[in-house]
Amino acid sequence: MFEDIYKNYWQRIFRLCMGFVNDKDLAKDLAQETFIVVFKKLPEFRNESKIGTWIFRIASNICLRQIERQKRYPKDELPKNLSEENTYDTEPQIKFLYKCISELAETDRIIISLELENIKQEDIANIVGLSNPNVRVRIHRIKERIRTKFREYEQ
Amino acid sequence: MNNDKNLNELWSGQTTKPPQIEELFSNFAQIKKKNLATLIAANFLMVATIAFIIFIWFYFKPKLVTTKIGIGLTILGIIVYLFFYNQLIPYLRKINETKSNIEFLKAVIKLKEKQKFLQTKMLQIYFITLTFGLCLYLYEYVSLIPFPWSIFAYLVTLIWIGFNWFYLRPRVVRKQRDKLEGIIKKYENIKNQN
Repeated sequence: MFEDIYKNYWQRIFRLCMGFVNDKDLAKDLAQETFIVVFKKLPEFRNESKIGTWIFRIASNICLRQIERQKRYPKDELPKNLSEENTYDTEPQIKFLYKCISELAETDRIIISLELENIKQEDIANIVGLSNPNVRVRIHRIKERIRTKFREYEQ
Repeated sequence: MNNDKNLNELWSGQTTKPPQIEELFSNFAQIKKKNLATLIAANFLMVATIAFIIFIWFYFKPKLVTTKIGIGLTILGIIVYLFFYNQLIPYLRKINETKSNIEFLKAVIKLKEKQKFLQTKMLQIYFITLTFGLCLYLYEYVSLIPFPWSIFAYLVTLIWIGFNWFYLRPRVVRKQRDKLEGIIKKYENIKNQN
């Protein structure tokens, strides 16, 4: 069962982490940490929520916990060539999208990442712990912000 | 970049090769091993110190009760700290990651506040017991030193204790508190985004 989960969710969890930190190595670490917790807690999973919602909740909480460690690896101090090497194979537009998302407030990063992952708004509300209408309004606002940034970027 | 479809497509364009599942498990095992090694190292140092103090007791055979109380206090200080390190810290780290983000943040903030209280209090207690322990322990041996030198010995000891008490103790406590307060503030900020 765990192996199926790992196969089905790796890319999605990685993208969520990547949207949060915009650093491939760090995102990979966070995704791995998520799956370690999933592996440990899987016997406790009681089908009260969907497995996807459950995994995304773990992943987003691990991303939030990341802020404690952030001080240790300030992004600006990383050697330039290292971050370039990390993303050399990614299209500039994709890079720009992830950059935009990682600059949002922490909660907004999680909300928009889940929305772009095609998670139902009801489930997003459940993961973040906000009301449905609140999530809907936020998604609308965040998308508007990202589109504005893209328009400026494309000009 | 006008429609949702484009954003979704771009979002999905970010991929990375998943590590082999064996690699994941070996990383997990490595983390566990590292945590255990840290725990053993801290315990080993403290236990070695206790053993050394007990050795002094048996080797020098102190006559005064103050020396014995001093030794007892020092050992107690170390044991209390050890207990805290082994029991409370791992407990404080246990947070349920399967809750919603808001509940998770509330739990983390609560635990960090608790950790701040315990850690700063524990350090205070540690310093107090060690200082008193050392003072009492030294009394017997310093009293054996002839007059002018005994004053000198007391002076040096008091300066050392004063340095610990007035400089080192507040510094260490403040550093711990500031660090935890900084973390709590970050979490509060995120919580307030909702």
